[in-house]
Amino acid sequence: MDNTNPSTFERDLSAALSRKAAVVVPGFADRVVEGVQVKRRRANVIRWSSWITTAAAACFFTVFLTKEPSEESLIKQTHALLASDESAQFNEILGLANDLSVLAPVIEKSTLVDVLTSPGS
Amino acid sequence: MSQEEPLLPDDVEDKRLMLLVAGGDDDALRLLVHRHHPRLVGYLRGEVGSQATAEELAMEVFIRLHRAANRWRPEAKLSTYLIHIARNLVLNEWRRRGRKPTTALDSTPEPGDHSQTSARRLNELDEAFQRAIAQLPPEQRTAILLVVQQELAYEDIAEIMDAPVSSVKTWIHRARGRLRELLKDFYGPA
Repeated sequence: MDNTNPSTFERDLSAALSRKAAVVVPGFADRVVEGVQVKRRRANVIRWSSWITTAAAACFFTVFLTKEPSEESLIKQTHALLASDESAQFNEILGLANDLSVLAPVIEKSTLVDVLTSPGS
Repeated sequence: MSQEEPLLPDDVEDKRLMLLVAGGDDDALRLLVHRHHPRLVGYLRGEVGSQATAEELAMEVFIRLHRAANRWRPEAKLSTYLIHIARNLVLNEWRRRGRKPTTALDSTPEPGDHSQTSARRLNELDEAFQRAIAQLPPEQRTAILLVVQQELAYEDIAEIMDAPVSSVKTWIHRARGRLRELLKDFYGPA
């Protein structure tokens, strides 16, 4: 310091500043620790939220975007669809055919031809 | 601090506490704040002129210290390091406000004064000095506060202010001259 020969001014300056050099604030240390703890908790919440969001995004991506059905399962699905759809049609057709086949013995071709070709018809 | 310079007991204790703080010990932090906050708040009050703002800034200083505890290396005294952080916050505060600190300083009567007249005279003088200091350019104010109020060495002030020692000496010299000029009603012309 260069105030080795202090005048009244220097003495008063020093005294005025020294009186305010140290200001004890009651409970200040507790407030700081509390502030640090709040910031720490907030940082933890942000860290966990970020982790959870990332994990959820990764799961979503895996399940909905990256999972392609295998060829085998596609074939099975196609067959199942065909089977379910076509079976009804086949049944109808087959049912008709059955009816025809049931009727077939009743209306014999030869009898019909005979009737049509008989002289009186 | 140079490596040859032996550590003072206070510095050793600070170093020990900082290691504990880095390990997450809140009690060590409480002790550290208890040791250092009076001078830090005193310095900040001189800089910003408001007790409330000084406390807010001091709180931020310690929160930053806590955040940087893992990276802290005891090359410098902790008190110097704290004031270095505090000064950066003060500069940010001025930039944020877009102006220098208030000249309407808080006035707190000293509880130890017995005579009302002398107390009034003392308060008047204190306020006059604080108003005058608030009118100094930032570098001069910081330098005079650190040398007279905080009794720091020129080298420490230079480190805190990121400036050469010669600049610090110039700022202090100019600050004294300007203060005398501002307080000529009390002391006569310089």
